[in-house]
Amino acid sequence: MQVLQTQDEQTLSASTAALGRAIVITSGKGGVGKTTTTANLGTALARRGARVALVDADVGLRNLDIVLGLESRVKHHVLDVLEELVPLEEALVRDKNSSTLYLLAAAQTREKDEVDTDKMIALVQSLRERFDYVLIDCPAGIERGFKNAVAGAQEAIVVCTPEVSAVRDVDRVVGLLGNRFEPQLVINRVRPHLVRKGKMLSVQDVNAILRLSLLGVIADEPEVIVSTNKGEPLALRSDSPTASAYHAIAARLAGEDVPAPTVEYKESFMERLGSFFGGRR
Amino acid sequence: MSARKIVFTSGKGGVGKTTTTANVGAALAKAGKRVVLVDADIGLRNLDLVLGLEKRIVFDLVEVVEGRCQVRQALIKDKRFDSLAILPAAQTRDKDAVTPEQMGKVIDDLAATADYVLIDCPAGIEGGFRNAVAGAAEAVVVTTPEVSAIRDADRVIGKLAERAMPVRLIVNRIRPDMVRSGDMLSVDDVCEILSAELLGIIPDDEEVIDTTNRGEPIVLGEGNRLRSIYEKIARRLEGELVPFTNLDTPGFFGRLLGALKAG
Repeated sequence: MQVLQTQDEQTLSASTAALGRAIVITSGKGGVGKTTTTANLGTALARRGARVALVDADVGLRNLDIVLGLESRVKHHVLDVLEELVPLEEALVRDKNSSTLYLLAAAQTREKDEVDTDKMIALVQSLRERFDYVLIDCPAGIERGFKNAVAGAQEAIVVCTPEVSAVRDVDRVVGLLGNRFEPQLVINRVRPHLVRKGKMLSVQDVNAILRLSLLGVIADEPEVIVSTNKGEPLALRSDSPTASAYHAIAARLAGEDVPAPTVEYKESFMERLGSFFGGRR
Repeated sequence: MSARKIVFTSGKGGVGKTTTTANVGAALAKAGKRVVLVDADIGLRNLDLVLGLEKRIVFDLVEVVEGRCQVRQALIKDKRFDSLAILPAAQTRDKDAVTPEQMGKVIDDLAATADYVLIDCPAGIEGGFRNAVAGAAEAVVVTTPEVSAIRDADRVIGKLAERAMPVRLIVNRIRPDMVRSGDMLSVDDVCEILSAELLGIIPDDEEVIDTTNRGEPIVLGEGNRLRSIYEKIARRLEGELVPFTNLDTPGFFGRLLGALKAG
């Protein structure tokens, strides 16, 4: 226990010398893999030795704790910290598997309207003083929860699936993020055999519309569902291609020169798509 | 005689609310009912895409509420069925452009000349959820057999119970092989956790992605096994007692084995 405490003190000591990077993970559409991406990217970054804080901004519908298998260790949440009921250090839950990875859980029985945007910005700032990376898991939609999640971030990762509806929603979110951000794109749940048959948009199709810097491509694998249900992020494993894809994203994010994610070319659906992505504002 | 007003909701996004709304709506229309589908996801609409009607939008829900047009002018009739229409959401507005009271009035107007008004709720439990639920008298909660989706569904069922709204459950994207191998929760597990009445069980099907991208609901196509499943959900909504499809049918090798054993 003594050892743990020391480690906590080391990790959590505030320093303004070099502020960490605050990155929001968002999408517009729900169920495209924001939370899974946040958990795995956080795990992969921590494996590289970085100090990482994961913030669940989905007040009322939190899930990041489940995906990390930490649900029974959560005692306090973001709102407790914002309302100064507990100090930040006390609300952070240290991950089971990665000693430099911490979770700040969302309140489950409160509303998103109760989060004060200015206080959220200040909270992210104080996390940046303690961590190399602050990853903010944004709720679905573009309402108050989205605005609060985005407010404190300097960078944005948008997660999209190869579906017309997801692409449309991401396009809208990129517009709402505005010029303050240069969002990077993760394309999730690609099923190469469907792409080959022309029954799914390819990475190329998706990014022909979104035209964002491509950070990663993740295949659709049943093992993702299993790992979510078990609360063990896939990035912990060494034998899974999906895990490797997350590690590549972490390396790319850290500035390493990693080969580009696989891009398969397939010209399909484009005529139909062209008509309703008239341009973003 | 006023229409049934049913909201399709889930808490978690991406579990299939829009796909389910479109297909159940189309199945009801095929059975001769007058159906209006309302997209309550202001700012992130998608119901128009799933039905392939995105190019025909002239007016939207917010314009109806603001009195810029009659509700009838904003309705888009489906090209395949006269008795199916959608009221699209506005794409470039916020969810607070509409109040729950205004939403309730639009739904009541639509209900006067329809048999079913199905409301496609946005993800989450914020203003958009409150608006979508405001006009409804019944709810269908869509969930998938994942711990996170079930937790969100549980939260939403609690919110609906506060409004004393009857709730029925659709379990979407079941993969029988994963249930068998113990890697996925079964429908029984899900129903036990949520203790809600079951309306439908829908297996995971790759074709749904393709039909969604093409704007052709599976119910209106040929040959897909999901078609009869959506049709059965429609019949259950009509009050018929329809047995649930047994998804746990063995594959080819399973049948072969069974036959050998029986022989």
